[in-house]
Amino acid sequence: MIDVSNLKKSFDTIDALKGISFNIPQGECYGLLGPNGAGKTTTISIMSTLIEPNEGEVSIAGYDLKKNPLECKKNIGVVTQEIALYNELSAYDNLLFWGGLYHIPKPELTARIDEIVNLLGLADRKNDKVKTYSGGMKRRINIASALLHRPKVLFMDEPTVGIDPQSRNLIFEVIEKLHNEGMTIVYTTHYMEEAERLCDRIGIIDNGEIIAQGTLDELKTSGSMKETVVISFTNLTDERFTKIANDWKDLQRFDDIIHFYSMNIQNDLSKMILKCNKVGLDIINIDIRKINLETIFLSLTGKQLRDK
Amino acid sequence: MIKLVKKDLKLFFGNKQDMLLTFALPIIFITLFSFVFGKMGNTDEDNLVGIVHVVAGTSVMMLLFSLAGIGESLLEEKQEGVLKKLLCSPLRSNHILYGKMVFANIISIAQLSIMFVYSWLVFGLDIMHHLPSLVLMIFVTAYACSSFGIFLASFAKSRKQVQALSTTIIMVMSGIGGSMIPIFIMPEIMQKIAVFSVNYWGIQGFYDIFWRLLPLTDITFLSRVVVLIGTGTLLNFIALLMFKKNILKIV
Repeated sequence: MIDVSNLKKSFDTIDALKGISFNIPQGECYGLLGPNGAGKTTTISIMSTLIEPNEGEVSIAGYDLKKNPLECKKNIGVVTQEIALYNELSAYDNLLFWGGLYHIPKPELTARIDEIVNLLGLADRKNDKVKTYSGGMKRRINIASALLHRPKVLFMDEPTVGIDPQSRNLIFEVIEKLHNEGMTIVYTTHYMEEAERLCDRIGIIDNGEIIAQGTLDELKTSGSMKETVVISFTNLTDERFTKIANDWKDLQRFDDIIHFYSMNIQNDLSKMILKCNKVGLDIINIDIRKINLETIFLSLTGKQLRDK
Repeated sequence: MIKLVKKDLKLFFGNKQDMLLTFALPIIFITLFSFVFGKMGNTDEDNLVGIVHVVAGTSVMMLLFSLAGIGESLLEEKQEGVLKKLLCSPLRSNHILYGKMVFANIISIAQLSIMFVYSWLVFGLDIMHHLPSLVLMIFVTAYACSSFGIFLASFAKSRKQVQALSTTIIMVMSGIGGSMIPIFIMPEIMQKIAVFSVNYWGIQGFYDIFWRLLPLTDITFLSRVVVLIGTGTLLNFIALLMFKKNILKIV
């Protein structure tokens, strides 16, 4: 459904994209994960025809973006980072306007609006001016306005920034429903839990390059990623730590805590506990830190996805 | 494009503040100034000149302020991300600007028409005897002023910049163009400079109709029509180029 090949884009002296490539088959939800300034929005902006690349090819729903931008536009829906609505108009009038740009006949458009405001839990408020809505409600209408023409591809650029948990869950449910119905979705975020929940495949982007991509399981196994077992003790001494370290090479001590690193935690956990008991250590807590996107990102880039 | 115009009209008529500034405020100014300048002359003809000056001068100046506001809305749409979303739709980018131009023209024509109808009803300005000329002059003045409003917006990078730029330029143009003080009592050098203002050509056109009583076919009157159309077209053309260069730069 989407083919991106060797996409490059520079702004003055900054290389925002350094030749990224990826393919997204129909019906897939593809997550673009990266910190601010990594190139996510530039990628989405090019695919949604807002800016032209310096080099590279993009094809959407079989149409070449350079040769046939209008057909590409008809096949995409774009949920921008900004809440792009007219605050002085009602939600209904906003949707009527945005849907009208795609030449949907009015009776059909009004039926679709009713359907979508029901789905997003805003049927009771559809005639109220958008300026009276909460941030989360505005975000939901912002998403609705991109769906009225039933696009084949939906680009969502950080659609849950700054919203309440209730709206966030509703948005997730809508995305999951669209995904189940076969819509192709490109979802950019710097929230790992969103990418883990929603996306079939994830592309990790940093400094304008895709540094890894695949399913979460593929990403976990692609590098030499290790899970961490964090064990706290009441009686950890230097002597006891040395004895443990002689037998288990991959570990680190932090005061009364030892971090054990393992490629196969299921096999190794019991061995770790036995060793600790053998040297007379009293365990007060065991915490298993599994591999997730956060650890993958950290291992690939050496930095946190979000500033802490 | 029609959908954009309809949306802008809905937004405009749904906003009491915009309506007040566009229609009520000019009427208040015209009423106040007409009571002062419309009774200062020694003869009825002098008083008529006073009223024509107030109605024409104030209408054109207030029109320019209203249109600067419409230009600002273009920058507001850019700042709020609406323009980005419009550009992702199958709409042609030029149509976004054309839509604003059409909307600005509709509001301008409505504003000028209301001012002259009000002057007819309250001050007895004889618009009915000069209706074809008046309609023509309202249309071409509205066209030139609308183009000016969009032209200003197309140069600016932000809404605040348009506000600052438009207030200064409109005050200067209104000052030299005869919106505040009639041109014929200004020094000769000022009368020469006045031709560089949109206000001058509009106000002179209205003088031609109500004071000089020139017919529609008079060459002087028609020359003002041509200048206003030419100015509007030139400003629109530059605005279109600047729109592509400045406003469409989204990322």
